[in-house]
Parts: sequence; structure tokens; C-alpha cells
Amino acid sequence: MLSPERLALPDYEYLAQRHVLTYMEDAVCQLLENKEDISQYGIARFFTEYFNSVCQGTHILFREFSFIQATPHNRASFLRAFWRCFRTVGKNGDLLTMKEYHCLLQLLCPDFPLELTQKAARIVLMDDAMDCLMSFSDFLFAFQIQFYYSEFLDSVAAIYQDLLSGKNPNTVIVPTSSSGQHRQRPALGEASMLEGVEAALFYQRLESLCDRHKYSCPPPAFVKEVLSNVQRLTFYGFLVALSKHHGINQALGALPDKGDLMHDPAMDEELERLVVRSRLHRTSRQHRAEEPGAFGFQRRDKPEALERVSSASAATPYPYRWEPRE
Amino acid sequence: MLPGKYRAVSGRAASNVNCGLHLVIQTSSLPDRNKVEFRLSKETPSFSGRLLQHDLERNYSSRQGDGRIISPVPRSRPSCLPSPASVADFCGLDVRAAASSIPALGEPPAQTLSRPRARQGCHSAGPNVSGEHSSLVSSSMPAFPILHRSTEEKILCSDRLTLERQKLTVCPIIDGEEHLRLLNFQHNFITRIQNISNLQRLIFLDLYDNQIEEISGLSTLRSLRVLLLGKNRIKKISNLENLKSLDVLDLHGNQITRIENVNHLSDLRVLNLARNLLSHVDSLSGLDSLTELNLRHNHITFVRDVDALPSLQRLFLSFNNICSFDSVCCLAQCSSLSDISFDGNPIAQEPWYKHTVLQNMAQLRQLDTKRVTEEERRVASVVAKKEEEKRRESQKQSLLKEKKQLAIRNIARQWEQLQQRRGSEATGPERPGSPSAAQDVSQAQGSGPAFPEEPGSPDAPPGPALADTHLVEVDGDTLSLYGAGALECLDRSWSTQTAGTVTTVCFTFIEFDDIVQVLPKLRMKFPNSLHLKFKETKLVMLQQFNALAQLRRIDQLTVDPQGNPVVSFTLWKYYVLFRLSHFSMQKINGTEVTQNDMIMAERLFGILAHVASSELPQYRLISILGDARKKQFRYLLDAKGKRPGLVSEDASDSRRLLTENTNRATLNYSTRDFFNERLEEIREKKQLCRAYTEGLVQEAAGIHTKAEALQRLWPQMFIELVRDAVVDIRSKDAFMKLSLQHIAQQK
Repeated sequence: MLSPERLALPDYEYLAQRHVLTYMEDAVCQLLENKEDISQYGIARFFTEYFNSVCQGTHILFREFSFIQATPHNRASFLRAFWRCFRTVGKNGDLLTMKEYHCLLQLLCPDFPLELTQKAARIVLMDDAMDCLMSFSDFLFAFQIQFYYSEFLDSVAAIYQDLLSGKNPNTVIVPTSSSGQHRQRPALGEASMLEGVEAALFYQRLESLCDRHKYSCPPPAFVKEVLSNVQRLTFYGFLVALSKHHGINQALGALPDKGDLMHDPAMDEELERLVVRSRLHRTSRQHRAEEPGAFGFQRRDKPEALERVSSASAATPYPYRWEPRE
Repeated sequence: MLPGKYRAVSGRAASNVNCGLHLVIQTSSLPDRNKVEFRLSKETPSFSGRLLQHDLERNYSSRQGDGRIISPVPRSRPSCLPSPASVADFCGLDVRAAASSIPALGEPPAQTLSRPRARQGCHSAGPNVSGEHSSLVSSSMPAFPILHRSTEEKILCSDRLTLERQKLTVCPIIDGEEHLRLLNFQHNFITRIQNISNLQRLIFLDLYDNQIEEISGLSTLRSLRVLLLGKNRIKKISNLENLKSLDVLDLHGNQITRIENVNHLSDLRVLNLARNLLSHVDSLSGLDSLTELNLRHNHITFVRDVDALPSLQRLFLSFNNICSFDSVCCLAQCSSLSDISFDGNPIAQEPWYKHTVLQNMAQLRQLDTKRVTEEERRVASVVAKKEEEKRRESQKQSLLKEKKQLAIRNIARQWEQLQQRRGSEATGPERPGSPSAAQDVSQAQGSGPAFPEEPGSPDAPPGPALADTHLVEVDGDTLSLYGAGALECLDRSWSTQTAGTVTTVCFTFIEFDDIVQVLPKLRMKFPNSLHLKFKETKLVMLQQFNALAQLRRIDQLTVDPQGNPVVSFTLWKYYVLFRLSHFSMQKINGTEVTQNDMIMAERLFGILAHVASSELPQYRLISILGDARKKQFRYLLDAKGKRPGLVSEDASDSRRLLTENTNRATLNYSTRDFFNERLEEIREKKQLCRAYTEGLVQEAAGIHTKAEALQRLWPQMFIELVRDAVVDIRSKDAFMKLSLQHIAQQK
């Protein structure tokens, strides 16, 4: 209430800018939708729960996409939820296709658009071979950039395209309808050096974009860092660099560092409990003659593996602390 | 002597020869010596052998007088002719044995009847020849002996001449015998028919057992009625053009390969082609009088044209190579047939042989020389009826099968078209309207009544209900649904028995979203369905499997990769196991589910369920779980509502218990249409809420601005007020006076 920004803006705009209105609207909407149930245990209780879940980031579970992408906090919460729920899939080591990742996303958000997943996959696969298998971490970080900075990336793509067409006549441009789907193919015989755009120039344009961009964009310092390392770069090269930049990841704050991606001791503990319970549940219900060998092996093997994981990551203290940003 | 009833019998003549023709004239008026033969009676001992032989050849029981007489006369024709004339009726042939000669013939049974024997150029053979009355004289032409009979003999039997066993190699020239009617050359070595063209009154010509290679020299014998050419070397039926009145033609034991050149013989009644080389029977048209056709011992594989024989009564096809009824099916059209034989054919080995023959030829009186009894006929008809039923049933089945295939193809095509249209329409939410009309039509004409009325007995499963756009089929314990329209069948009232036996349900060419909508019905109508099969159902997302959780039980799940892209995912199986873990499924796509699979599934997705159930705010949990579980949760809610901060131990216990069952329930699937509808609803609500909150916020912001303005003004205002008050009370007396005045005025 007492921050200087607060005084600079009229109340309404301030609330809108801070997305408070979004949550208020949604809370009322939820209240309206579940009014019978809620009336039984109190509206005050409902609002408490609602804003608590917003704070915890659990409010986006199974919500519609329009809500999930409505605020940066929602996006971060969704990224985090995705990571938490499917970390085990990545841990299992399976490489999945774009479509399968999309299915996983749809488990959390039934109407998650395929386009976003496709774009994220394009970052991982460098714009080709869309049916390739991807590792969980590659996909997750690419997806993070694509999902969280979706509008920013669209603008970047437009800028890149401008630069490409204006300053680099040696590149053949395949025109596409959507600004997000720019592809460029170097002309035959051209040196790959000439591929892409000049980094410095690109940065100038991006800096001004960041200044006036009303959506969230990655901290300009990190963008500068990414661009200062190279002379020239392509659009997807830029995106890959963004997705691999751990400073941006930290600034975004939804996911742990790449090294700790598979690490979530609280959830692992919970999972162990669930597994044991399901095993007991099944065996007690089925009365199956289970070979003791296989059973024992399972029992022995898994906690060991877990221990190994936890001891490996024990050296580095768990750096990530989840709190709603903004 | 006495004009009596004569019987002419044709039979085999020689005892030492296989077959032949034997003519017996019997006078019925002379009981003891009424048998007159053209044969020596001393040959009788060998008759039994002959008869056997004969029986093989002509397999109907002939009339046998005392074992010597074999009658070829058709049964329909009484063997004893009422005709008083001295006629040897030979199959309707008037062989006129001169009445006067009969007594002479009849006298001694052993007496040799006029036996003029011709022997070519060999008079010295006299002792062997009993024909002292006839002389065989070599003519001027050395090749042909000329035969003369004595006048006496001519008188004795003026119209017959028997030259049996004379070792003739050519036909002798028979002189002055123009009136001859019966000529017998049995058992000679004749190679060519010659020198008889002048015998234009000849009726009966017997050339049995010679060496004739071609039928010839008969063109002038227009009155010939019996031609016996058995046991020769004839290869081809020919040169019979002028023998228009031929009545009996015996060509057995030759080398004939096909039936030909007989179509003009409209008077022919008996045709014997046994022991030839025929491979098939046809070109029989024109033989309008044929009553007996003997085709034994050939190589016949099929029979045609027999139905073109209006008078055929006896047909002998024994010992041929007939393998199927199809190859003799024309016999069924032959209504005059009363006697048939098939023995010795492959066909007669078949178990259904007798029934089928009797069924197809009801008029039959003899089959394979055995009388057809009423009992047999009855059995045959029963069997045939059964077979007919069976056939009709199988025909119906195959027809249905065919129809089914057609319907499935149809549905598949429509499905493809729909998919293409969907593809081109991209995300057109509205369903194309055209198929529904077609479907209504098909419903009306097709499947409607076939189903629920069916008693559903296990051995007679209800036939598939057919329609153009969908197909419903119950086969044993499997309910198969093709096409979206088939889902309507779940609305029908199924008999409890049928519904109870169905354990497998197959969905083909139906969108999964459509299936989802009928799952509650499926659960109700087919409580025992344990195995679900999906093929071409557009299963594309893992979350679609959530919908199956509402069923009562699933033991097996089969998702065909065809038309279900979800199967290509590595995680789908684990997700199914995870989401449907409460079913304890046995098999997925035919593979046994192991404990390790279950654990893997739990490891992969357990956290998802945990997060979903433990981290959702209560109001969301309730709205997702729906009415069914609300009751369970009310208790929980109460607990939480009353003691928000600290949840007691048993409350958390009960919560865990509940989440055990419900943590997966939060993962549910709503079909796209439904979801879009909901989104629309949400959007509307959102608009309302937005307007509402906006109003509230605006108002609050306004109030706040005013309050702030007041806040800002207030200190100054206060100061001003105080200043005013101070100024007022500066002169105390004046103020007091003023105040008192004020009070007084009020009073």
C-alpha cells in the first residue's frame, strides 16, 4: 500500500497491473460456480483457501488454459506443478516425443494448446525432426522459456525476421503465416558463418523491446550475457541459449537448477509411501502368489537408488526456495 | 401249335462268353414244354454263371423263368403279352416266328433248331455242323461264302437265320432270303458288316461277339429295330442315320469314347453302352422314347442332358467315376426315372448319398437294384429337410456374414470420410449433419426388431443387427459395436441373460468421446463386461483413459494401435495401470500385468495423484469429484471447517483413507464437446464476474479516493474549526450572553 509505485497509479490500474483483479475475478467466479458447496462451509473459508492456494501455486491445477496463462505467477506455478508431477517420468529416463509431452501437459490442463508444445519442442530439436525423442530436462527448460515468455518470444521472432530480411540478403526466407514459425534456410553453398543475425545488433533491438514490453521478459542483463558470447546467432540458437541459461531460470523461479531437477526429497518420500501402499493394497486384494525374489528385489533396489540420488545431491545445499514472485 | 403268349427274352447267349443276346420264346399254353429257345438246352448248367454276369451288366432283377430266361422287358411292360399271335415280342419288336414253326420248335427241348451254319470255304467241317438242310456254298467270289438254305428249312423258319459260332470272318452272302427278319451272327470273327444290305426286311440283327471296328453297311436296313453289336471293337457311334425305327441298340463292350450321332433315334427305347470308354454323358437330346440307358463300367465323371429324355425310366451308372451330386444334378429334373444305380461310384461312399438321391428323386422305386422302401423315403426326407434347414441356416449365416462385412466396410468408409472432413475442418465443433439422416433411414428398415426379442440362448446367439451406418453384433460373450450409431443399442432393453453373458465389448469406428458418453449405460446394461477393446476410436490422449475409471470393473483392456495414436506412447500402459489401478487389471493388450508394472506405474504417476488430491483447495476437490463423492467428503469438510488450523489425528487418517480411493478420481476426463461447453460457460461467468468485480473495485477505489481526500483535508479543517471556536469565545461575556439568548429563544 505504501510503495511508491502504488502512489503513481490510480488504484484500479494498480490492481490490474498487479493481477490482483485477475485473482479477485477468478475467486468470485469460482465462488459462483461452486456456490452450493461453498455456502456450506463459509465464504470466508473459501476466500482463505483460494488465496492460500494462489500463494502456494496450486490454484492452476486442472484449470483451463486461459486462466493458467493469465498471469506470470500462474505460468510459473504451472511450470512448477508440471515439474513436480512428472519429475518421476524424467527420472525414469524415458525419452518422449513432443506429443507425449503434450499429453502430460494435458493431464494438468485439459485444453493446453498443441502449438505451444510444438514451439517448445522446436527449441529442443532446433526446428526440425519434430518426431524425435527428447529428454525431460531439455524439454522442460525449453518449455519454460517458451511458455513463460511466450509473447516476448513472438516479438523477438518478429525482430529477428526483420533483421534477417533487412541486413542479410544471402539468406533465403521461407515466409510463413504465423510470426512464431519463422524458419530460415541458408542458401546452398553459403558458409554457415553467415547464418543468423549479428548479436550486437540483435541485442540493441531486444533491449528496446524489453524496455517497452508490457509482458514479462527475461532480465536484460542475462539477455546481454547470452548475446555477448557470440558474434552471430540464429533465432533458435538464441532460444536454446536462453533455455540453458540458469540465471534466467533462477530469475524466473519456477524450476530448480538443472542439476537438481530430479531432486525433490519431500515428494520422493511421499512417493515411496504411495508405492509401498499400492503394493500392499494390490497384494492384499489380489492374494496373488508373487514370487518372493522379484518382490524382494524391488524392495531392496529402489531405496538404494534413492539414497544414491540424495547423497549425490547432498553436497550442494538445496538452493531453491519456492515463493510467489512478482 | 397253339397260339399262346410268347415271351421273347433277350439274354446272354453263350455260356463261355461274357455276354450276348439270348432269345427265348415261351408259350404259356404249354406248361411243360413251353420254353422254346434258339439255344441248345444243354448249355443250361452254365446259366447261373451267365446270369451273374448278366446281373452285373443289367442290374435289375430280370424275370427269370426257371433260371434260364432273362427278360430285358421293362417292368412296366408285362412279360406275358396278351397277344395271341405267334409273336416273339422282343421289346416291342415283332419278331415273327412263324406260327407254324412253333410246334416244331417246341418238341424236344434239346432239339437243335434250324441251325444253318456257315463256314467260310470249309465243307469238311461238316460233322460239326448240324445243318444238314442248309448248305454253305462257296460262291464264285472267293471272299464271300454264299449261304443257301434248303426249302424245307426255309419253310420251317422262314424269317430267321442263325449263324452262331461259325468262325466266320466275313458276312456270307445270303441269297434268296429277302424276307429274313432275324439274323444272328453271334460269336464269329466278322470284322466288317457286309452283304446284308439286301435284307431290307431285317428287324433283328445280332452281331454279338465279333471283331467289328466300325458300324457300317446298315444304311438300307430301314426296318431294323434291334441291333446288337456288343463285344466288338467299335470306337465311334456312326452310320445309324437311316435306322430311324431302331428300338434296341446294344453297344456294350466296345471302345466308344463319346455318345454321338444318336439324336435322330426317336424310337430307341434301350441303349446299352456299358463297358465302354465314355468319360461323360451328354448329347442325348432327341431320344424321346429311351426308357433304359445302361452306362455301367465307363469312366463317366459327369452326366448331362438326361433331363432331355422324357421317357427314361432306368438309368444305370454303376461303376463310374462320379464324385459329386453337382455333376449329375440334371437327374433331379428327370421325373420319369424310377430305377437308378450309382453303386461303384465315389459318390456312393458318401454318408449322405442315399438320402440325397432319394430326396432329389422322390419318384424312384429302385436304387442300386434295391427297392426303395417307404421308411427309407421317410428317413431321407427327414434328413433332407434337416439338411435343407441346415443349409438355409448356413446360407443365412453366410449371407449375414457377408452383409456384416459389407456393413463394416461401409462404416469404415464413412469413418474415414468423417476423419478427413474433421481434418479439413480442423476444429469445427459442429458435427456434420448429413449422416444422421441416412442413419435414421437405416434404423427404420434394418436392425430395429432383431435384437431385444431374441431369447439370447447361448447356442443361438442373436444375429447381428445390420444397418448401413452401424453394426451391433453379439457373438457369444462378445458385444461388437461398429460405428457411432451402434452406441444407441445400449438404450435398448437387453435380456438379462444376454446382458449377463457379455463379458467383452469391442468398439470400432467410434470416437472415444462418443463412447465416454455411454459408459454409464454400459456399466448398467452390461454389468459383467470385463474386457474392453478399442479399435479406430481416436484415442489420442492419456487423459482419455480417465473416463474408463467410472466403469464397474475392467480385467482386460485392448487398444488397437490402428486409429489410436495413444498406443505409440511409451507411457500409456503405465498411465492406464495407474489410473485404473482400482480395477487390478489382468491384461493390457494381451500382455499380463505384473507387480512390477504396477509399481512402475505408481512411481511414474503417483506424485501426480498425490499432488492432485492433497494440494487442490477443498472447493475444487469437491467440484471435480462431483456429486457421488460429496457425501464422503462432507465429513471431512466439517472437520476442516471447524478446526481450520489443527486437524486431529483421526481426521487426517480418514482423509488419507479417502484419498486412497479418491486421489485418482481428481484425474477425470470430459469430452471435448463437453469441455468446450464448459469453457463457454466459464467465459460467460467470467464476464459476469469481471463486471461485478470491476464495479466493486471501482466503488472501493472511489471510496478510497474520497477517504484519502478527506484525510488530506481534515487536519486543515480541524484547525479552521478550532480557530473559529477560539475567535467565538474571545470575549467571554458577549459569548455567554449570546448563548443565553440562544437558549431563551429556543424555549
